[in-house]
Amino acid sequence: MTSDNSYPVFSHPIEAEFARILDYYGVHWEYEPRSFPLEWDDKGNVAIAFTPDFYLPDQDLYIELTTLRPKLVTKKNRKLRRMNELYPEINIQLWKRSDLRALMLRFGIDDEAARIIGTEAQTEE
Amino acid sequence: MNPYPEPEAFGDLYESLSEILITADQIQARVAEMGAAISRDYEGCHPILVGILKGVFPFMADLIRTITIPLDVDFMAISSYSPSAREHGVVRMQKDLEEPINGRHVLFIEDVVDTGLTLNYVLRHLQNRGPATLKVCTMFDKSSRRLIRIPVHYKGFDLPDRFVVGYGLDYREMYRNLPFVGLLKAEVFQPGKKA
Repeated sequence: MTSDNSYPVFSHPIEAEFARILDYYGVHWEYEPRSFPLEWDDKGNVAIAFTPDFYLPDQDLYIELTTLRPKLVTKKNRKLRRMNELYPEINIQLWKRSDLRALMLRFGIDDEAARIIGTEAQTEE
Repeated sequence: MNPYPEPEAFGDLYESLSEILITADQIQARVAEMGAAISRDYEGCHPILVGILKGVFPFMADLIRTITIPLDVDFMAISSYSPSAREHGVVRMQKDLEEPINGRHVLFIEDVVDTGLTLNYVLRHLQNRGPATLKVCTMFDKSSRRLIRIPVHYKGFDLPDRFVVGYGLDYREMYRNLPFVGLLKAEVFQPGKKA
């Protein structure tokens, strides 16, 4: 939960659901607290950065959620690989669409699970 | 030799599975090994085994019958996150322990540890009651999606990051009675998906 008990503006509904689950089980979290520069231009300005969605301070763990279909996750995987090269001390988990769907199904949140699955997406796995 | 019906005898429940991952014989053999280890480690301690309903009950029932030292058993029930439970905002205790655990050697028994969210909540709760020791024993471990680091002292089997059921693990409250563990077919939890 955030320090002032208010929710930030999430960029995706699944992030709000994930935050509610963490709150439910009393797990402290922060939303997009830090950006990690991954590439710089000739002048030393940050050209590409990666901002994981959640940080669990008690676990020292960053979490990135994605509902993209597997074949569209390539760009995000590339960023994560670069993250691991530049910041090997940072613990980060990528929760893929299938992980999120399983989590939603486990908790009986069928509407969110259905949104994640999507008609077209079913043919991709 | 286990006393259970053959997998095919479970009819529609069996037909909903794409594969059996762990057989009843394998489960019973592993439970016996875990029970022997617990009997050795807790000799003279008179532990209390605590489980959370409902998923743990087949494992708890089998496990305690392989432990050869005196022990107590108790159960808790808490509300899982769900569309209705989330309106309450936080976990609610639906059934508390009937015995005090302060000064006791508590062995917490789980059917499966995956994210660690539930277990972390319960362990914090139990730790506040002042047990002499508090350790964790789980039949299944799905560590790939672990959000909360939790030391597991006794573990039966690792499970893949797939939708598995049986031996207490359910989907919509079904499949708990299977004496083995299997992969649920995708079309069961993804209506519309073809086999």
